[in-house]
Amino acid sequence: MILAAVNFQTLSDAVGLGAIYALMAVGIGLVFGVLRLVNFAYGQLVMAGAYTLAFTSAWPVPLSIAACFGVVVALSLAMETVVFRPLRGQSPAVMLVTTFAIAFLLQAIALIIDLRDDTLGEVAASITSLNEPISVGGVDIRKITLVSVAVAAFALLALALLLTRTTIGLHTRAAAADFRTARLLGVRANRVIAVSVVLSGLLAAAVAVMMTVQFPLVSPDFALRDTIVVLVGVVVGGIDRLWTATLGGFTIGFVSGVLNGALPTDKTVYLPSAVFALVILVLLLRPAGLFAWGRRAAVERA
Amino acid sequence: MRRGADAVVELLGPSSLVVAVGLVATTASLANQVYFMNALVSVAIVVAIYVFVGNSGVLSFGQISFVAVGAFAAGVMTVPLESKQGVLTTLFPFLRDHTIGNVPSLLLAAGLGGVFAFLVGLPLMRLSGLAAGIATFAVLEITHNILREWTKIGPGATTLSLVPETTGPLQATIGALAVIAVAFAYQRSRLGRQLRASREDPLAARGVGVHVHRQRLWAFTLSGALAGLAGGLLVHQLGSITTEQVYLELTFLTLAMLVVGGLTSLWGAVVGALAISGLDSFLSQAENGVHVLGVKLDLPAGTRLVFLASIMALVLILRPSGLTGGRELRFPRRA
Amino acid sequence: MPEPVLELAGLEVRYGTVAAVRDVSLRVDKGEIVGLIGPNGAGKSTTLHAIMGVLPTHRGEIRLHGDSVRGRSPESIAHRGVALVPEGRRIFGDFTVEENLRLGLAAHRTHNGAEPLALAYDLFPMLKEFRRRLAGALSGGQQQQLAIGRALVAEPDLLLLDEPSLGLAPLAVDDVFQALRRIPERGVTILLVEQRALHTVALADRTHVLVAGKLRLTLDPADAKDPDKIVAAYLAS
Repeated sequence: MILAAVNFQTLSDAVGLGAIYALMAVGIGLVFGVLRLVNFAYGQLVMAGAYTLAFTSAWPVPLSIAACFGVVVALSLAMETVVFRPLRGQSPAVMLVTTFAIAFLLQAIALIIDLRDDTLGEVAASITSLNEPISVGGVDIRKITLVSVAVAAFALLALALLLTRTTIGLHTRAAAADFRTARLLGVRANRVIAVSVVLSGLLAAAVAVMMTVQFPLVSPDFALRDTIVVLVGVVVGGIDRLWTATLGGFTIGFVSGVLNGALPTDKTVYLPSAVFALVILVLLLRPAGLFAWGRRAAVERA
Repeated sequence: MRRGADAVVELLGPSSLVVAVGLVATTASLANQVYFMNALVSVAIVVAIYVFVGNSGVLSFGQISFVAVGAFAAGVMTVPLESKQGVLTTLFPFLRDHTIGNVPSLLLAAGLGGVFAFLVGLPLMRLSGLAAGIATFAVLEITHNILREWTKIGPGATTLSLVPETTGPLQATIGALAVIAVAFAYQRSRLGRQLRASREDPLAARGVGVHVHRQRLWAFTLSGALAGLAGGLLVHQLGSITTEQVYLELTFLTLAMLVVGGLTSLWGAVVGALAISGLDSFLSQAENGVHVLGVKLDLPAGTRLVFLASIMALVLILRPSGLTGGRELRFPRRA
Repeated sequence: MPEPVLELAGLEVRYGTVAAVRDVSLRVDKGEIVGLIGPNGAGKSTTLHAIMGVLPTHRGEIRLHGDSVRGRSPESIAHRGVALVPEGRRIFGDFTVEENLRLGLAAHRTHNGAEPLALAYDLFPMLKEFRRRLAGALSGGQQQQLAIGRALVAEPDLLLLDEPSLGLAPLAVDDVFQALRRIPERGVTILLVEQRALHTVALADRTHVLVAGKLRLTLDPADAKDPDKIVAAYLAS
């Protein structure tokens, strides 16, 4: 029944969503790797980028996008300095609640800024033309899907090269594996963390650009729901390693996209329950992650 | 002798705070009373959460599911018969055609919360860390989804109203005290101490024969029952309830109250709940203009959340173990 | 006399309110091997961790080439020419041997263009042979060689070793001590913390005995023939 309703449009949209979620998963996974911190406020970085695009809608597109990247990276570094650094080594509960408080705080600030024009929501309209489909071999694919997949593929490849072929990449992987020993060997903790935070910010900015194409109306809870879904995907995939986290993000994005598109609306009311029941089942069977093998669940260490 | 005194203070500290709030509530104007009642019901919820999260060290995002179950159960069963049959026509007959009183509804709420928690906890208590967090979050989502869609057990997406507002200052205070008393009894019992041992070092605890899964299940079930009770108190305080009121926002707010107060102690749970409720109420007032020490404070609209979130974040950055340092209240010792 | 590479003066390190190391003073001059032995829990590892900046110093001084390094971070001390071979080796099992060695370069101070990993490969030819293998696949003795090699590629002035013979088979232990003997030839100074008292006393120019956080006795290589003296030092209270 489900398969009958899956058409190419649904599949391609799902792949596009999966690509975007994969990028968010990498952003979350990078910071978790070096700081052992789940940044619940990651979605707010995307929100900030989206608002920047909205407020610079009148600018030339490249400048608008540049502004978006600038704001998001600056905000990420600010988060690291003001929030993450003092909390290094704290318990997961404290870190999670603090990042949640920051998320709340940023949403509240965004609300105040947004409401200055007395209407809720701003529109980021500069590149919505990408939301239109083009014909490829007789089927319609939205341009944004192609862009999302291309950007995701490029970003993941670039990141993989950075991590495996460069010295800073080696240091970052070492810090993620054993922070204490890495420091003993002379790996500069702050530099590695700053690099990871900046990369994570760049990814969030890219996600903001791609999301506003499909959802040009920006409000303070922009990307909140998506962040939660990606977090679930990352833990289900396996947060301990970057590639399992990414795969988890992509999978949950793809599955969400397919289910949303394939099932008729009146049958989707209990869909969240089904999906989350599946999540529980997967976690019971493989607590370290669906794609992790022979590993214990992530150890929260200093 | 000292240990007996410690126990007394450990219980009396949080209890007297709650009683004090209750007393002040009776003297406050009707408009202000709501703030105190929010505070007391928050105490009940946060202490219920603490019973599991604080003692086991396992972060659960699902405890508000039990508050929801308790709230809706108590609410649906106490709506006056005529209104219920007129408005909630899709309910199962045994729900629609019967009504129970205030106290029975609270007992029902606690019972259902406990049973639900037990069933959920059976499989889930094997998990720890992030996996437990996500799995319990999934429970919250499932509960929310079902309550919202299954119109045979409740109002679904619409507001459940006309619930008798039987939670006044007295009921709220007694309810909060009851939850505190049970939490105190549990943490001092052998069960509670075994669980706390596993919090610090699960492997070592297993080594001395603590059955970690079983202890967590006990605490989870008890926490669920207390949370259900708190849900009953909540719905009778508000006179209505919607699924959104017992979902994400309440989950994070109550968890934040616990962590800011001090995750690992009963004192922390109570202090956190009262402090943040108090702060929230004060900031709400400030948005309407309030006098503090002779100076008029007038916050721009919407800044209440900014201040609340900033202060919570600041407390945790400066003092990660929480306002109470995660310790119980003790008689001051000679150095 | 030139400044000692390492000087500890009245060092006191605490865990909470308990002093794990008390009033420890010693010096290590360039090219020396100095040993630090003692029973379990005596504070030997604690001393090394304090030098490396991993543990805070409660009282006393730690001086490298005459400059105080008290309170500095581990990376900063690594960048001043101190390398620690930690207890249990702590190699990165999911990385290759070569990547592990390259990590050691993080603290390298000058880039003189020469093949940087040569120091490790010369001392331990096995590492060169296995350089593309995952470090987790090596045996205990080989991992210990890797850990020492990794510390050496940074060309440190001072090499700290924390119980390198722990968990190793007797042959592997001999290999390790043979290698240690050759290191001062390259101008590297060694402070060696060990459980194997006799091996250490025979190898080092000077060996201090640490019991319950305090230095009791200093032994020289000749005392390797006199085990009773060592035992007496351990048991002294």
